[in-house]
Amino acid sequence: MARTTGPLTVAIIDDHPVVIEGIQTWLSEEPRISVGHTGETVDVEPGVADVLILDLNLHGRLVIGDIATLAAAGQRVIAFSQFTEQRVVLESLEAGACEFVAKNEGRAHLVNTVLAAAGDRPYVTPTAAGVLVGDRGANRPKLSSQERTALLWWFQSMSKASVARRMGVSVHTVDVYIRRARVKYAQVGRSAPTKADMLARAIEDGLVKPDDITGYESAAVGVG
Amino acid sequence: MTVGVVEGVVATRFAKAVNIGLVAIVGVWHLGLDTLLVLRGWPVYEPRVAAAGAWLALAVIQTAGSILLLRSALSGRTARGLAGATLVTGVVATATYPPGGAIGDVSWAWNTVGWFGVLLLIQRPLWELITLLGANTAVTVGFLAADGALDQVTVSRLLAAVYTTAGIQLTFAYLARQLNDGAREATEIAAGQAEHLARATADEAVHAERRRRYAYLRIRVEPLLRGLAERQLDPGDTVVRQRAAVEAARLRRLFVETDDTPHPLLHELRACADVAERRGVRVALLSYGDLPDLPASVRRELAEGALLVLAGAATRARVTVVTSPEEVVVSVVADAPPQTLLESPGPLTVSSTYDQEEDQLWWETRWPVRPAP
Repeated sequence: MARTTGPLTVAIIDDHPVVIEGIQTWLSEEPRISVGHTGETVDVEPGVADVLILDLNLHGRLVIGDIATLAAAGQRVIAFSQFTEQRVVLESLEAGACEFVAKNEGRAHLVNTVLAAAGDRPYVTPTAAGVLVGDRGANRPKLSSQERTALLWWFQSMSKASVARRMGVSVHTVDVYIRRARVKYAQVGRSAPTKADMLARAIEDGLVKPDDITGYESAAVGVG
Repeated sequence: MTVGVVEGVVATRFAKAVNIGLVAIVGVWHLGLDTLLVLRGWPVYEPRVAAAGAWLALAVIQTAGSILLLRSALSGRTARGLAGATLVTGVVATATYPPGGAIGDVSWAWNTVGWFGVLLLIQRPLWELITLLGANTAVTVGFLAADGALDQVTVSRLLAAVYTTAGIQLTFAYLARQLNDGAREATEIAAGQAEHLARATADEAVHAERRRRYAYLRIRVEPLLRGLAERQLDPGDTVVRQRAAVEAARLRRLFVETDDTPHPLLHELRACADVAERRGVRVALLSYGDLPDLPASVRRELAEGALLVLAGAATRARVTVVTSPEEVVVSVVADAPPQTLLESPGPLTVSSTYDQEEDQLWWETRWPVRPAP
């Protein structure tokens, strides 16, 4: 069930109370969101809230592995961390995180990511865009040149309006390129219900055609 | 590194040649000569089992010692142990000779024990071999004395035998040692020369680098400083301040250019960012993807645009480096005036736009990782 309207609940897991309170303050300005749970450890029941904001480093331990468990159980997870190394970001996304938000990226990106994640829609932060476009891994998806350019410039300038002017297209089109690239990334690696939901929604929204997606394509080839 | 390699190659090869020669000599001696002697004198040994056992034991010691020596696995303790066993076997063999036969047609062990000593103790201090040879000779003398055979003729024969057996063995060991020392000395000299050459080359490179920097200072910085000193340039003028900011960043980059760091490009960009940060500009520097090795000229060019825009930035700048499978892309976005980029770029793909609405200058330089097909 997509939840783009109506109240949605968020859980916050972080080992620093100041961060939890900071996020609560940020989210309190957005009437559609309410914080339903906060905690310092990752042992929460899946479905504790619509979206779980998870600090990747809890008491000195990286909890990327727990993202996979939560995502496999259908929990939408947003990775929220000050560790922005390429490996950390890629592994979080590969494990099934809806998105990676760097702690220095600010309120707007976090709120947008929460809203998008709750609706199973992709949202790409500039940090994630930089990581994806710089990915040299063997199983990276094949992006179109516009998708690559949009990701690269979104990372460089952090303003979709500016990217749109530079590309000579509308802001909406830039957003489509970026989100389409993210959907293609959701296709590679581990499968999780959250990723499948994102795909289904992307097809519904006309963001991608079933043919664009590796999984659908290979299924068709398999039949033929 | 070079020193170790050179020394390793030549000295090891030399030692190996000496060792192989030694193994061959001892092999021929025991398996050939001793076998013939033992077979020819077979009826006179008593008990024969002991004679055959001694021969066999020596063959075993010889095989073990040779293998260990050739594999460079002969430790001091093993060498001394095997040498001791050889000496004891020599005593057993000598005991099977007929009375007074310790030097003569049927005696074989004395000489053999000596050569075994050379084989086993070649890598040990010389006094260990001398001790063994002395003990070995003492065994023979002891047996002769016990048999009451130490007459004048035997003593002179004994002296001649000591001279021709132990003397030769000692000389062989001594010469081998000299050869090894000579080889080591030669390799040390060669290594020293190689190191000297490397240092001279490095000095020359450093010197050339200094001259390049000096030339740069003379052409670019000196006129600026002179202009300021002679009051031809006004420090309050925006253009002059801009020039000073650019040259400061250039100098800073020039100095870090030859630093030995994992990612020289990022290091140089960091240096440019430092200069801007000191002027109160908030700089974000982000890099994704593994940077390949970049030639210094490419690095210089990739950093140049960033340097100019950073020098012109008023309050904020975002420098990004992305290494994709296809290219290295360096970009800087800052609230710099549109006329910042006066200098023409080099041969790399460069694009710049001024976004009026966001009041920002956006500069991007691309370097293809693989040459275009």
